[in-house]
Amino acid sequence: MNSPIELQPDETFVLNVGPQHPATHGVLRVKMEMNGEYIVNAETVIGYIHRMHEKMGETKTYPQFLMNLSRMDYLGALGYSHGHVLVVEKAAGIEVPERAEYIRAIMVELNRIASHLFWFGAFVMDLGGFSPLMYALQDREYILDMLEAVTGSRLTYCYFRFGGLYNDIDDEFIAAARSFIPRMRKSLKKYDKLVTGNVIFRKRLEGIAPLSKEMCRKYGASSAVARGSGINFDVRKNEPYSVYPEFDFDVPVFHECDSLARYNVRMAEMEQSLRIIEQGLDKLPDGPIMPAKKPKLIKPPAGDYYQAVETARGSFGIRLVSDGGKIPYRLKLRSPTYSNMHLFDEACRGMMIMDALAFMGSLDLVIPEIDR
Amino acid sequence: MGTQNVPSSVVQFALADKLINIGRANSLWPLTFGIACCAIEMMATGCARFDMSRFGAEVFRPSARQSDVMIVAGTITKKMMPGIKTLYDQMPEPKWVMALGNCAISGGPFAFEGQYSIILGADEFLPVDVYVPGCPPRPEALLQGIIELEHLVSDWKRWKDPEAA
Amino acid sequence: MICEKTKLALQNLFPAPVAEEVPAEDTGEEKDKKAPKQPRLNGLLECDYAVHGYHLDAQVAPDQLLNAVTILDESEFFLESITGVDWIKDNQLEVVYDFCRYDFDLCRVVIRTRVDREKPSVPTITGIFAGANWHERETHEFFGIKFAGHPHLVPLLLPEDADFHPLLKDFKA
Repeated sequence: MNSPIELQPDETFVLNVGPQHPATHGVLRVKMEMNGEYIVNAETVIGYIHRMHEKMGETKTYPQFLMNLSRMDYLGALGYSHGHVLVVEKAAGIEVPERAEYIRAIMVELNRIASHLFWFGAFVMDLGGFSPLMYALQDREYILDMLEAVTGSRLTYCYFRFGGLYNDIDDEFIAAARSFIPRMRKSLKKYDKLVTGNVIFRKRLEGIAPLSKEMCRKYGASSAVARGSGINFDVRKNEPYSVYPEFDFDVPVFHECDSLARYNVRMAEMEQSLRIIEQGLDKLPDGPIMPAKKPKLIKPPAGDYYQAVETARGSFGIRLVSDGGKIPYRLKLRSPTYSNMHLFDEACRGMMIMDALAFMGSLDLVIPEIDR
Repeated sequence: MGTQNVPSSVVQFALADKLINIGRANSLWPLTFGIACCAIEMMATGCARFDMSRFGAEVFRPSARQSDVMIVAGTITKKMMPGIKTLYDQMPEPKWVMALGNCAISGGPFAFEGQYSIILGADEFLPVDVYVPGCPPRPEALLQGIIELEHLVSDWKRWKDPEAA
Repeated sequence: MICEKTKLALQNLFPAPVAEEVPAEDTGEEKDKKAPKQPRLNGLLECDYAVHGYHLDAQVAPDQLLNAVTILDESEFFLESITGVDWIKDNQLEVVYDFCRYDFDLCRVVIRTRVDREKPSVPTITGIFAGANWHERETHEFFGIKFAGHPHLVPLLLPEDADFHPLLKDFKA
């Protein structure tokens, strides 16, 4: 393996990656101080898509803010909406009917699979393989068809309401979901054969960017970044919410700490999401999707409230500070990608630039979520 | 001696121009410049189901110097604006700009009272040729935008306009 | 249970023992009729998890902050987020630290500290939790709170030359 040559401090050059770059998954800029192919120092510059979600949280009423969460992370939008409606329901004391919770869980898991499929396609494209993107996005289109028939949107959903949902699912959706599950399982096997066993793919990822448990803890990493380093942390199991305690699913944890482990975690998560959808469809109770009694104006009592949910990208937290009015006093959105991205600067020192980009892909970044 | 028709210049360009414009219309190469949510719909349009390749436009060029059309897909922030202007200046003529999505048209849902961070639309600093509304617009809408752009580039139409018939 | 252990360790930071009661933040009918609410004193509160979503809530003075965070670091908590809240009526800015755990011994801890709105300054915790770097930069640029000892306190999300603090309640665009 080559190693960098010794250089004087003023013999390094600065390479600017982004903000327009095919591999940065959005507008992200990394100023890399380079010694040939090796990175001496990296500084991430974010804020190119700062869209003032927290400011809007202080100027919009609770129902008006529902649409913002989808724009924050558009690939896994329903998970974020779920966190928002849960914290407001907790604060205002609104009961949610059981059928609505089950449908929410099914939708969130479908969205999680769609998000992971997109990540999978984009990740392998970063490494140079263009075909899996086509297959992955085609599978994702089946999920989007199902979600669009019920929610009305392909990407930026505004489906959850405080207390439940605005539209019930019908038999067509259930039939489509049931036929999707075996098809997705076949696709996962196909991706395994096409990508996971590929020797070039493995050589690009094995041993790249090892992240220790201590480093994950100092930065607050979650999702595959933590689970690929042996930390068994999934909010759905560690801090259960909604109807997740009713489902029987595993949390895949790999201990190699490298990029391949993070990849394996996400591929295994897709299978677990399929299990949850299956069980959700089997156990789906009848009943209303909105509570019988709901306050006309949402005005949670004054105080601090916190809710964490497991989204496709990790542990998303909302901190709601209410002063008793109809507009939140402060709404803090704790973005998981923010904490995951933060360890890039420290972890990529001494790496070759191609490994750094493979590492960036394995972190599953969505930049508007970092910038909010 | 009769009059003689002498052409005004030695080389006639009109027919060549027409052919070149038809060629340009059928091979608009976009710049990979997805900023936010609309970028995902742009990528979905390039993929198997909606297939921008039928219109010659699936070749996304990462470098601005090789692309024809800049599809501004997403919200433009004040921090990002100098970068977008630089990219636009780097593109060689002839070049076009498509504003994809409500944010690129007029700021979208982020244009609220008291906003401090975004630019209200790409046409504040770029000459936009086609506007595709939606939040995000469906891939079919993006394809319609590409077809409108093709009509702007050349007179040649892909199919007869059903309303004109 | 880690919650008990942490509670006792944090309690030692405060000179007098604090009564464990349901937090006074839920204003009921009686409270509205009383005189304006007294500001909360430094101390530890145990909160109802089902209502608020966290277990322990400690308000510390800025100079006790590093001690409190060190206790949590030694007990293997991870830093979830740091944020600010602008209490313009009290003329104070509050910095809120959220901590959580990776294992199944669930315990969410919130550490808060209040500073004067005119000259807000809080010591940095980047020496203990490296992940506080970006969180503190963001809190600084949105509220104007200075984190003493931070290695690189420049705007993170706003343009590099931004000199305004958007999330303050008296901010005009």
